This record gives sequence, structure tokens and C-alpha cells, in this order.
Amino acid sequence: MTSASTIRKRTLAVLGGTAIAALTLAGCSGGGGATTGSKPLTIGTTDKVTVLDPAGSYDNGSFAVQNQVFPFLYNTPYGSPDVQPDIAASGDFTSPTAFTVKLKPGLKFANGHDLTSSDVKFTFDRDLKIADANGPSSLLYNLASVDAPDKTTVVFNLKTANDQVFKQILSSPAGPIVDEEVFPADKLATDQEIVKAHAFAGQYDITSYDFNNLIAYKANPNYDGVLGKAKTDIVNVKYYASQSNLKLDVQKGNIDVAFRSLSPTDVANLEKDSKVTVYHGPGGEIRYFVFNFQTQPFGTKTADADPAKALAVRQAAADLVDRDALAKNVYKGTYSPLYSYVPDGLTGATTVLKDLYGNGKGGPDAGKAKKALADAGVTTPVKIDLQYNTDHYGESSSDEYAAIKSQLEAGGLFTVNLQSTEYVQYSKDRKAGVYSVFQLGWFPDYSDADNYLTPFFYNPTDKEAFIINHYDDPAVDALILKQGVTSDKAERAKLIEEIQAKVAAQLPTVPLLQGDQVAVAVKGVSGVKDTLDASFKFRYAALSKG
Amino acid sequence: MTTTAAEVTTPPGAPEQKSRSKVRGGGLGRYILIRFLLIFPTVFILVTLVFLLMRTIGDPITASLGGRLNAEQLQERIHAAGYDRPVIVQYVEYLGQIFTGNFGTTISDNRPISTVLLTYGGATLELAVYALIVAFIVGIPLGMLAAYLRDRWPDAVLRVLAILFYATPVFFAGLLLKLVFGVWLGVLPIAGRATTSTELQMQLLPNKTGIYLIDALQIGDPAIIGDVLSHAVLPAIALGLLTAGVFLRLVRTNVIGTLSADYVDAARSRGVSEFRLVRKHAYKPALIPIITVIGLQIALLLGGAVLTETTFEWKGLGFMLAQYLSARDFVAVQGIVALLAVIVAITNFIVDIVAALIDPRVRY
Repeated sequence: MTSASTIRKRTLAVLGGTAIAALTLAGCSGGGGATTGSKPLTIGTTDKVTVLDPAGSYDNGSFAVQNQVFPFLYNTPYGSPDVQPDIAASGDFTSPTAFTVKLKPGLKFANGHDLTSSDVKFTFDRDLKIADANGPSSLLYNLASVDAPDKTTVVFNLKTANDQVFKQILSSPAGPIVDEEVFPADKLATDQEIVKAHAFAGQYDITSYDFNNLIAYKANPNYDGVLGKAKTDIVNVKYYASQSNLKLDVQKGNIDVAFRSLSPTDVANLEKDSKVTVYHGPGGEIRYFVFNFQTQPFGTKTADADPAKALAVRQAAADLVDRDALAKNVYKGTYSPLYSYVPDGLTGATTVLKDLYGNGKGGPDAGKAKKALADAGVTTPVKIDLQYNTDHYGESSSDEYAAIKSQLEAGGLFTVNLQSTEYVQYSKDRKAGVYSVFQLGWFPDYSDADNYLTPFFYNPTDKEAFIINHYDDPAVDALILKQGVTSDKAERAKLIEEIQAKVAAQLPTVPLLQGDQVAVAVKGVSGVKDTLDASFKFRYAALSKG
Repeated sequence: MTTTAAEVTTPPGAPEQKSRSKVRGGGLGRYILIRFLLIFPTVFILVTLVFLLMRTIGDPITASLGGRLNAEQLQERIHAAGYDRPVIVQYVEYLGQIFTGNFGTTISDNRPISTVLLTYGGATLELAVYALIVAFIVGIPLGMLAAYLRDRWPDAVLRVLAILFYATPVFFAGLLLKLVFGVWLGVLPIAGRATTSTELQMQLLPNKTGIYLIDALQIGDPAIIGDVLSHAVLPAIALGLLTAGVFLRLVRTNVIGTLSADYVDAARSRGVSEFRLVRKHAYKPALIPIITVIGLQIALLLGGAVLTETTFEWKGLGFMLAQYLSARDFVAVQGIVALLAVIVAITNFIVDIVAALIDPRVRY
């Protein structure tokens, strides 16, 4: 007969044994996955997917997945800022408002379904019909209708003529082509439906999908686009909530590549680790502050309104900011100083703000700031209420704006009242004109200079720009419209430079920093640099191990 | 010897004994029924409180998407979701939905909340069980030891340790454990529930439960079982120590109490050793209060799970609750909190029944 104490002993022995076994067997269980051919690769990220259906998501995390698996008519080749036909064979304006795309023949989805012009028409009609509030349909603002006259021809009928940005839109979150045999025409497909049906025709197919935890990709042999075949057959992407866990795992070699996002401190720490390599590439994110032309000191709605004095205040602020110090001290080199409105890496980027303000080398110049204010008859110190936000633009915003306050106050020209507000309220307040000077940030919708100009500075009478700061210059509006329809690349670049020069003279915003794309890879991983380009799309297919 | 009034006034005899046992049997059934019925008002009050608290911050659509949509789009979404109707109408509808198991759809990632609960509930349950095991393994033997060595220095050390266990914030304990065992010693994983390869194999299972140990057992590979258990060690310790501290002090106090009871004195006078007295005579009665405390500890564990799961990226309901809170997705938060409230109410009911069955001092 077994006594109670014996049972207890056995129970304890089993529990103890299990714990020991856990520790022992931990060493036996390795990473990686069962594959043949090229070595599988594991990537870690803190991105979050919202929904896989391109009609229902317009965020970095979902677009990162969509970029790997959905086909685009146009795409950005590795290392280039400009788009080229991807699954399209060619594309051209056949009339001022008709952009005609010819598809490559014999295209297929990973599930064997034919990919024809009918799928393309279905995709864009569906985007416009669903018009999901979280989706990218707003990017199709210039699309009137789509025709599919034959199996490989698609005609995009545009509302305005010669839209040179439309090709970029086709490479944006509004551009992934979906399988009409899988996706419903009038509502979003669930992630499970999409994955189960293998409705993909990009460089990869998804073989396993565990929402915001783990996605397994397998190279799609049917892909025949501008990006070429994937260098690695199997890629697994692990989703993290914590940047520090992501950092520790790449440091320990549990993952091969960490991409987006690591904190500046973690990146600085990893730079010193010989087991990993930190790669930097140009990023699309920009950080800047905005002057509200109505409520800033001497603004049009203030008691002492004076446009000349208001401009002097903006110029003095631009003379005093030290972008390099912000990039190095606050962001540990994960951001670069931004001296133009169009970020570095894109066609049309300049250094106009470096040339016009500060010491001419990118540094601050208190003397110049003092002169600008004195010449305009502004009594110093000028009081400024500077608003920023930490729950939308990152925790480092506190350090960033504390540094900006110090920089502005350094010469005694400004007294800065620094204020922070929770994002929902912040967003409402800044739109309502409550803030006179305030922080904003921007992630591009597509990698083109237009996306850094039109949303900010195009202010026709019937439409206010995104920043809502009451800046209005009809000459700038005209130039913005003109660059949008200029097909000659050199001529368009010149127009973009001209726009920036005009805007820089008025300073509706003061650009500060451009976020680098940072990826960290263990030794032996190649191809990271190739995909950290001005497309701002991190393509797993460029990477390989061993 | 003292006697109760009932014993004095009731003449001894078989009929009375029978009658008493009959009363007790009916009493237990009635007790269970009452405790069961009490679940409903408890859950009702909790769900109502959650609903009202969520509404005090405005409608969930504005909270989640207020910064991203313009006023027209926002109003359109609020209207479509019915949040512009009177609160009482929304409340009645919400109750009706809960009764049919429909908790709504998350705003931030458009998923049915019932799916979220089913997907991540298993992970939280698994962690809670591991944590309870740690609490038992650590709290009970150390509590007995402290009682056995009462008022000596090891007792003092253990009492301080108990306070440290339940006073240390769980995220801090988690970070310390990660630093020591994950970073410095490198013997245990720092985050997640399994390695990538294990999770990929689990994805292939036709009958996934979401409880990784069960899924690993289904696969049957010792390396995978080891992988899953090794990932559980640090989170289980971080969360389990919280409860272990409570158990340690409770067991110590109760063992000391029972060690001075008459029947223990009698055993002692018969020459039974102190160690045997603790193990054989004082141990069992001292454990009864543990059962009753478990009900409260479940609530503590679920609260602690939010921080533990976040610290260790243990993707359970606590982790998701933190994610949805940061996304201001209050529909999701409402659903998860309502489920946690139901779990706590049901656990307390079960604990009450078990306590009533095993502890003759419980009267009903």
C-alpha cells in the first residue's frame, strides 16, 4: 500500500524533476526551422500588424508584411529612391488623364490563381468602395476609375492630368494587388482567410501566421518582379513588445536581424558589441516643430500682430537650433540632422536651412538670431509656449524638447514655456489652434518629395494642409501643383528645390531631424545595407545568412 | 471543558444526531446554491463597473482614433458603432451581448474579442498554474521551516524574505531575474513562451490549445517540452514569489498555532519529535487557510500577470490588456477585464465550496 507521505514524496520528486528537466532540456532546444537550401533567417521587430488586408490597414507594421507578400504594379528597386514597374511590364500616360499599365504575361498568385488586369481593377475598386477609416483609400484621391480592357492592360482614369506622383501611389500602402477570388469586394478579409488561401504574389508566401507573435515566410517562386528572387527561402519574423527584449535576443543570437525599433541607448550599446553589426540607412521619418501663423508671437491673431516681427521670431529660432546636438545627445546617432523639407536620399533633397540659418555649417548662431530680432525691432526675451507630446512621438521627445528649450534660451533671446499634453487632446488642440509653437512628426506614405510638400504647404482656399498652421503662399501652391505634373525628372527636381527655398524663407515649420533606418544583424548576415534604402521598405528577400 | 449552548440544551441520542446531520447536509447544498447564485450579482456589479468606468473617459472610438481621424470621420465611426446613443441603451445592449458571448470587436486590430480571449486565455491560465506551483513549492515548506525554527535567526530571515517576496513589485522581480539568469548567467530565456522553431511546430498542430505545455506534450518531443518549460521558469518564479510570500507567512502562523494545540501537546508528551509534530500533526490543519486564501490570490495573480506577461513577453491576456491599454482600445480592455472578473468570481466560488467541504469549522 502506498502511504500519503510516499505520494507526496513522489509528487515533489516529479515537480523537482520537471524543473530540472526544463533547465537541462533548454540547452537541447535550438532555434531555426526545418528548411532545405539556404539557411533560414529569423528577424525580430517591435512592429505591430493591425490587419493583413491592404484595404484595412495603413500602418508601418501591416505594410511591412504586405511589402513581402503582395505584388505591386510599381516598386522601388534596391538602392533607388524612384519607382519602376514591378509586376507591370510598362506604364505610361496614354492621355493626360489615363495612366495605362501593361502587366507581365502569365502572372500567378502563390495559390495558382491567375493574376490579371481584372485583379488589379478589383483591388482599386474595392479600396475605394470599402474606404475603411483605417485603410489607405485616401491616397487614391486622384483616381476616378479603373478599366481592364484585356487580361494584361489596366487603365487608371485620373481626376487631374499628368499626375507624376501616381506611380509612387502604386508603390504605397494603397498599391498591393489582391486576389479577386479570395478577397470580398465590399468588406475586409480576415487574416486567416488571406493566409489560408495563399493569396500572395510578392517575393514571399506566408506559411504560418500567429498574429503579432510569429510569421513564417517561404520564398514565392512565381514572383518575377523588379526586386528579383528572394535570397533566403525561409524567413521567420518574431514580434516583440519590448525594445529591450529585442535587443537582448539579437545580442544573444536568438534572432539574426533586429529591425525597428531599438531605443537610441540600445543602438549605442549594440554599436560596441563585436558579435553584431549595426547598419544605418536613410529613413523617411522626420521630426520638426511648427509655428502657428495666427497665434505665434506677433501672429496675425495676436494683439501685437506684426508679420515682420513674426518672421524674425521664426528666423531667430531657426538660427538657434542645434540639430547635430539633438541627433547625437538625445538620439545617439539614430537620427540625422535635417536641413531641408525633403529628407536626404530623395530626389530634390537640399541643405537649404543650413545655408540660410545658423552658422552656415549646420550649427547654431546666437549673433545671427539676435540680429534678426533686433532688425525687426523685437524686444527680447521673446516668450514662447512650446508644446510637445511623448505618447505619440516617442518618450525621447521630453529630452529632445528640453534640449530645444535650452538651445533657444541660450543667448537670452527666448523664454520658453515647455508644455506636454496627452496625444488625443494634443491632436485636437493643435488643430484648433490652441498651440502657437508645437512638435509634429511625419512618416511618409510613399517615398517621394511630394509627400513632404503637398500635405504640409499646399493650402488652396478649399483645403487646409495637414499641419493647420495658417501658412498660405499661392506661389508655393502653384509650384507644388506644377511639380506634380512635370514628367521631366531634372525639371521636377528643380521645382522641388525652388519650393523648399521659398518655404525655408518663410519657415512655417522648422525641420529638425530625419530618422535613420537602423537594423542590427549578427555576424554572417548579408544584404542588410541593400534594403536600408530610400524606399523605406525593409525587404526580407535581400537578406541571407552564412 | 467548555460546551456550546446547543450541546447543553440538546439531549444526547441517535435521533438528534440524525437530525443534525440532515440539517448539515441540507445546509451544504443550500450554501453551495447561495454561493453559486452570488456569482451573478458579483459579475453583474463588476461588469457594470467596468462599463461605467470605461464610459467616464468618453466613447472608445474617440479614445482610440481621436488623434488620427478628422471630426467627420470620427463622428461617422462613433455613429456606426452606436456610441452616440444614450449610455443606458448601450449598457443594456452590452449586457445582452455578454450573455450571448459576444464581447464586441477590438478597435485597434479589428478582431472579435471572444477570439482574443480564447487565443490568449490559455497562456494566462498556464502562467497562473505555474505561478501557483512555485508559490506552493516555495511558500509551504519555507513556512513550515519558519514555524519549526520559530524565533530563531532562520525564522527571522524567512519572515523578511516573505515580506520581500510580496512587497517587491513583480516587474522589478522579473527584471532582476532576467538580468541574473538571462543576461549574466545566460541559462534561461529572457522572453517569450518558446523558441521560434518550437512555436512553428506548434502552429502545425491540428488541435492547438494555446497552453504550450499541453501542445508540447502533443508533439511529444522532449526538447520541445524542455524549451517550453525553460521559458516558463522565470515568469513563473516572478509571479509565484508574490503569492509564495503570502503562503509562507500564513503557513508559519498556522503551524505555530496548531503546534500549541491540545492534541499536539498530547503527541509531544508521548515523545513525538518536533520535526514529526510539524510534518504529521501541524501541517495538514495549517494548510486549510491556504485554500481559502487561494481565491484572493487568484485575483492577485491575474493582476500580477499583466506586469509579468509584459515583462517577459508572455503573450497572454495580461500582455494583451497592456497592449490594448496603450492603444487606448477600451472595447478590448472592457472585454478582457470583464472576463478576468468572471474568472475571479468563479474561482472564489470553487474555493468557497472546497473550503466548506474540507474545513469543518466552516458553517453554512
